[in-house]
Amino acid sequence: MDPISARQARVAVVFGGPSPEHDVSILTGLQAARALLEARPGLVALYWGKTGRFHHVDASLEAAAFIDGVPDGAQAVRLVTGGEDGGFATSGGRLGRSRTLPVDVVVNCCHGGPGENGALQGALDLAGVAYTGPSAAGAALGMDKLAFAGMAGAAGLPVLPRVLLRADDEDPGFPGPYIVKPRYGGSSIGVEVVADLGTAQARLGANPHLRAGAVVEPYRPDLFDLNVAVRTWPGLELSAIERPLRSDGGGEILGYADKYVGSEGMASAPRELPARLPAALAAAIAGAARAVTELSAARGVARIDFLSDGAGAFFVNEVNTVPGSLARYLWVDPPVPFAALLESLIEEALVAPAVRASAAGADGTVLRKAGGIAGKLA
Amino acid sequence: MTLVAASVGHPGRAAVVALVAVSIAVAGLRWLRVAQREHYATGAASRFALRWWTSSPLNALAMLGARAGLVVSVRWALGALATAAVVGLGPLGLAPRGRSAPLRWTRRLRTLAVVWGALVAGAVAGGVVAGAGPLSAAAAAVVAPALVDLACLLTAPLEVRLAGAHVARAAARLRRVHPTVVAITGSYGKTTTKGYVAHLVAARHAVVATPASFNNRAGLARTVNEHLGEDTEVFVAEMGTYAKGEIADLCSWVTPDIAVLTAIGPVHLERFGSEARVLEAKEEIFERAACAVVVVDDERLARAADRCAGRGLKVWRVSARRRDADVFAGAEDGALSVWVGGRPVAERLPVDVRPENVAAAVAVALELGVPAEEIGRLLPTLPGAPHRLERSVSAGGVVVLDDTYNANPAGARVALATFERAGAAARRRVVVTPGMVELGPRQGDENARFGAQAAAVATDVVVVGRTNRRALVRGARHGAGARVVTVATRQRATAWVREQLGHGDVVLYENDLPDHYP
Repeated sequence: MDPISARQARVAVVFGGPSPEHDVSILTGLQAARALLEARPGLVALYWGKTGRFHHVDASLEAAAFIDGVPDGAQAVRLVTGGEDGGFATSGGRLGRSRTLPVDVVVNCCHGGPGENGALQGALDLAGVAYTGPSAAGAALGMDKLAFAGMAGAAGLPVLPRVLLRADDEDPGFPGPYIVKPRYGGSSIGVEVVADLGTAQARLGANPHLRAGAVVEPYRPDLFDLNVAVRTWPGLELSAIERPLRSDGGGEILGYADKYVGSEGMASAPRELPARLPAALAAAIAGAARAVTELSAARGVARIDFLSDGAGAFFVNEVNTVPGSLARYLWVDPPVPFAALLESLIEEALVAPAVRASAAGADGTVLRKAGGIAGKLA
Repeated sequence: MTLVAASVGHPGRAAVVALVAVSIAVAGLRWLRVAQREHYATGAASRFALRWWTSSPLNALAMLGARAGLVVSVRWALGALATAAVVGLGPLGLAPRGRSAPLRWTRRLRTLAVVWGALVAGAVAGGVVAGAGPLSAAAAAVVAPALVDLACLLTAPLEVRLAGAHVARAAARLRRVHPTVVAITGSYGKTTTKGYVAHLVAARHAVVATPASFNNRAGLARTVNEHLGEDTEVFVAEMGTYAKGEIADLCSWVTPDIAVLTAIGPVHLERFGSEARVLEAKEEIFERAACAVVVVDDERLARAADRCAGRGLKVWRVSARRRDADVFAGAEDGALSVWVGGRPVAERLPVDVRPENVAAAVAVALELGVPAEEIGRLLPTLPGAPHRLERSVSAGGVVVLDDTYNANPAGARVALATFERAGAAARRRVVVTPGMVELGPRQGDENARFGAQAAAVATDVVVVGRTNRRALVRGARHGAGARVVTVATRQRATAWVREQLGHGDVVLYENDLPDHYP
């Protein structure tokens, strides 16, 4: 049987989510909805509230409608899992009958938290709904800075030493100053530069973002950020390399405000695109990006962040599997319109689903030979 | 004459009733919008109707015409048409759709509209059956606002029940997440203090604060249900109140660990009656709290703080005047100093803030375990509240002080002081204001006083709208030689400012009334 064609598929955009990047995700989601609405007038917009509820909202809303919380006119829906009747279900009007929203594919615009760490992906897998972006496994790996760095380093890619920050450690193996980052979490929130390990350990108790775990790595003020986006469908493609710039020119660590508080979120942050780099460095970074894409099982569009001195040295920093504005601003040569990017993600989601659960091999043999359960317990 | 009456036979009378019904529908849009903007308070529509119909000679005359038409329609159906015309077209200045805040067809408004429509239809139908169709239609037209109030009264129990479901959900959620609750109340300074608390504590704890206007039962429930994540450690809840018992009710499910009282003033006096009653209502916030933070510069609040201490609460007495208070915050020439326990924590920081509110917020932060040094480091970046003495410079070089979100006399005085400093060297200094509302019996005096204070430091005073025109003009003309200009709307005022002012001049926009005020 042929899969549903992308043209005929019914698409929903999901954005928001219980994460610190909730507001940024709303911007990404509304931008995606606006880009898709022209060709898909039946587009469903699903707003995932901060407290975990999903709401069906009007796809042409502006950001201002979400300032106070759930917009007027929103209808609460539940994500139902388990079996073929999974999906987003309304709670049923006065007649008490609930109905499932017509959704074949979800365009995932949720940054950080359960939208980008595998929880949403797993739930959608169980609900039988296709989705763009990383699979559950890829998402979880991407969100875990420690696991990702370990994997990249073990595969031979250049990485800065990154270790788990523990309250009772004596020596991480490299001198300060250090950058302390939440182990799981969005790229800018909760990141701090500290002079010594003692301060880092003190921050463990004080900074709420570090409570679920923290990593520490050396602070290298001589290095700056270089980012590149990748697309995996129909084939592996890299965008131009960008060098994000800080709005006030001081220091090198990009904060939440630098990246997100422009009128369009990430898309309007200042940058040098393409970054002016020696050809050899650009080629090496491109090669590393390809390697990271394979290792991290990236899917959809991901943004890989590097650190470099601009001459010859570079290090793999992290991968963002649901990047801000879905990295649409990085596709400049050749330019890819946002709608086209989204359509390729939708096609990939349908043709190459994230996971196909399989029960192959469970053919009853073990059960037939089992005898009584009591026998197995003794 | 009887011939004329008889000649407007049954079809004619039916047509008249239909026309009047159309004009009642248009009028309905206006008064329903007023009810919505006034948060469905019973009596609001009638109060505003009175204000509007007496706001100008033209409107007053028109209303007399409507009443005359009503009397005439006892005998002659055509009289009702006059009433219809007036009620449909007026009062002049109050548009059915509204500029600054159009009618929003929320579920609650639809319910209200249906009930109101039923009342009107019932009244008119009854009249038609009794053979006095045009008369009853005209009567319904004249009392349309009162019928909106009646509809509010009738739907109130239903709304309370519906809100109850959201409140129950929110209460359960609060019990599950059990954050430390900081509750803030006061006649003014609540929102600003809440912003400061969130800023000082956010580096250490996951904080959720109620968004700007969500300070009542429905708003708090909505904040908890839509914004309070599982990981929330501190919940900062602003609590507003219009009547005795409301805060006690809120505290029954949003139980404060730390309760803050910022100030008592002549705000919402229309509904409370006196400042003593305001204080009584606000003091309910301490009933279940373990810790109290009180700005004790006002004698009455100092006594309230003592009462808390007497009941066994831990009390932080904060002040913007006395350095020996538990927390002192003072602003001289726009530079902030903060002292804790008689010792300085920050001196002469160049931030423009409200010192009483900073003092209260610092006390809360200390109570939540934020060390004084860390607080000192966070003070320079205290967030300004939007539209509260926000300063900007226009393209033409005019310095604009935007204090449009301030609605109380104390804030207005602070604004005038800043305005005076900012405009010391300016050729022209302009204050644009519609005055302040909800001051009950003191509204006239407070506005006159403000008018005089403004005229003392400004070269021009622009009075917007009619709500407080008389009092403001009286006060402004009383004082020094400031020129007094009256305009109908804020848009006209802005146009005047753009025309008249040039580089280096200063304009202060003090308060802004929504367009359902005359």
